[in-house]
Amino acid sequence: MILLLSLFIGFSVIALFPTFSNAQSESKTFVTHSGSVIKTSGEIIDPVYTTTVPEYTESTIEFDPMEYLREFNYGNVSTLPDGSALREFTIIADDDQIMEVSPGIFFNVWTFNGTVPGPTIRATEGDTVRIKFINNGSKEHTMHFHGIHPAEMDGVFEIVGSGGGQFIYEFEAGPVGVHPYHCHVMPLEEHIVRGLYGVFIVDPKEERPPADEMVMVLNGLDMDFDGENNFYAANTIPFYYQHHPIQINTNELIRVYVVNMVEFDPINNLHLHGNLYNYYPTGTDIVPSAYTDMITLSQTERGIMEFEYDYPGKYLFHAHKVEFSEKGWVGVFLVNDNQDENIQDSDYGS
Amino acid sequence: MEVNNHNSSKGKVIASGIIPFAFVILMMVYIFGPGADLLDFGTPLPEVTIEKVDFIGSEIHATVRNTGPIPVEVVMADINDRIQPAAVEPDRFLERFETTLVRIPFEWNEAEPYIIGITIEDGTRFEKEVESAAPALEPSLDLAIFFAIIGTYVGIIPVMIGLLWLPFIKKISKQKFHFFLALTAGLLLFLAIDSIEEAIEVSDESLAGSFNGSLLVATVTILSFLGLYYSGNKLVERASSSKLAKPVAIALMISIGIGLHNFGEGLAIGAAVGLGSVAFSTFLIVGFALHNTTEGIAIAAPMSRGKLMIGKLAAMGMIAGAPAIFGAWIGGFSYSPFTSVIFLSIGAGAIFQVIVVIMKWIRDEGDHNLSSASVASGFAVGMLVMYLTSILV
Repeated sequence: MILLLSLFIGFSVIALFPTFSNAQSESKTFVTHSGSVIKTSGEIIDPVYTTTVPEYTESTIEFDPMEYLREFNYGNVSTLPDGSALREFTIIADDDQIMEVSPGIFFNVWTFNGTVPGPTIRATEGDTVRIKFINNGSKEHTMHFHGIHPAEMDGVFEIVGSGGGQFIYEFEAGPVGVHPYHCHVMPLEEHIVRGLYGVFIVDPKEERPPADEMVMVLNGLDMDFDGENNFYAANTIPFYYQHHPIQINTNELIRVYVVNMVEFDPINNLHLHGNLYNYYPTGTDIVPSAYTDMITLSQTERGIMEFEYDYPGKYLFHAHKVEFSEKGWVGVFLVNDNQDENIQDSDYGS
Repeated sequence: MEVNNHNSSKGKVIASGIIPFAFVILMMVYIFGPGADLLDFGTPLPEVTIEKVDFIGSEIHATVRNTGPIPVEVVMADINDRIQPAAVEPDRFLERFETTLVRIPFEWNEAEPYIIGITIEDGTRFEKEVESAAPALEPSLDLAIFFAIIGTYVGIIPVMIGLLWLPFIKKISKQKFHFFLALTAGLLLFLAIDSIEEAIEVSDESLAGSFNGSLLVATVTILSFLGLYYSGNKLVERASSSKLAKPVAIALMISIGIGLHNFGEGLAIGAAVGLGSVAFSTFLIVGFALHNTTEGIAIAAPMSRGKLMIGKLAAMGMIAGAPAIFGAWIGGFSYSPFTSVIFLSIGAGAIFQVIVVIMKWIRDEGDHNLSSASVASGFAVGMLVMYLTSILV
């Protein structure tokens, strides 16, 4: 009885006085959206800005968006009897990876070659692309490329079984442009939003002008499976390019291959600060369709953006559907003074 | 020889009482220890509850409790579904039932609604909606006086007015008197149901599922009933030896019951002001006052059979009414949904006890048949009056 009573009293004391704050002597600080500095005796939870908490640095992020940004996979190249190039790739699908998608938040992602997005596959128009696809997942998966190819290479009806199922996708790269590839197994929405997608770039035979090239997949994560994204990002990790600005140079042509893979929300967009870009929808034409700082993209809509910065400094780029940017789809270009004397100031886009 | 025998049988009784307990403990040790793997299937779902939201300066403070079966980690905060940097004090790791304070710097606007979201390590988000942001009440003399005035209007004055019916009840016949006693019981029954309803409402809104809100209300109500029933009977027994005091004892019990109820009501009012969900209109005060006037009748009815004791009557009015002030203070300055639920339930139990006492009294007074016209109609009118005045609140 006494035990029960003391239990009850203890319980009600806990319930009545919820905050026994054993304040620690050391205090930490962080900066808010509006710039004020907040001191706390506790911990900081802050996916937005770089903090002083040691465990919240990039080292905890398994996937490095900075590496992905400029990584292009050209495959194993050999020459076919007719003299054209054969590019061979191996892509392995899996669906059991737990990834730290934001500091402290873990999510079961489905992956091509272990990352979301999958590797950027790059070929030149007319090359033969041969992909050895292995499904190591526990579910059925396929690879469906946007582009021109025979029906049996479409990755829709040729389901690849789980636990090591294989399929060889082979087709001629085309048309020129930037295209998505993704798993096309039902339930399709789930297979896409869990991370089974990537970018397929087809270069024209006559190379594009040299540029600092990068890939941005605009994606979202529905952490609680309620059919709404909890995070948005360029290249998966929310707010990543905000704390780790993308370094570029003044007077250097920047070419961004942008693919919108956001599900649930009908549109996404990309707004660039302090500049405008030439926009090539789907990258299929050499004449830009617009010179603008704002392009709206629907599902799997994509294009190439080209621009140069005249002035050094920090420039934001983000969804101007600002809900998305407040949930992670925001980044910074850190424009450095170009040291290369030979580069001439071109009158880009004017 | 016989003594020895007696001792050993006593030992057996104790042993036979303890043995089952020993097995229960054994079972628990086994389940938590070596047998843990046996029960290790199914996925326990984490849960946190945002118990309290305060708007302080340029920050929003959320008190977060782990109300699930497994430890959790608070990793992200948002306001209106937009991610915000925040501080967690003392830390982000929460064991079962542990709480932490999440401080979210945010330039909030008064009287606007906000949804505060907390995300844990598996990405699950929990939220709490605040209908209207109001700065956290700083305990000040002005505010204390304000609450005291509200409490007086809602608690003391109406009860005192209700007591003025005493001379009228004094002059009527026994049948009519029984009508009024039954009316009192009807009024009280309504109040008890009202308390329970409110307690369940508060527990649904702000208490986590793991508190078993409705069962908590039921348990506390019945414990309160039993406790007061037992001590009340002792009081009446002692009073009956001195003859004159039985009506006083009953009236005292009624005032204590109503006092507990009014304490709960005060808590609700204070909390509503504190949370900014109520703009106190004069109309609302009038409604409460009218509603509570009927409580005075409940005290006056038993007192009418004794001598007229104005001092005692006034004291009982205070016992019944003044707790509204204390309730408003506590509710306004340090609101906790758990305390609210507890006090509302205690109030309900107290009132049930008073109803039983009144019905017993009517029976003792000679109206053995509780289904007489005066009793039935009294009860019915009591409920109806309360319902009609409650519409005003």
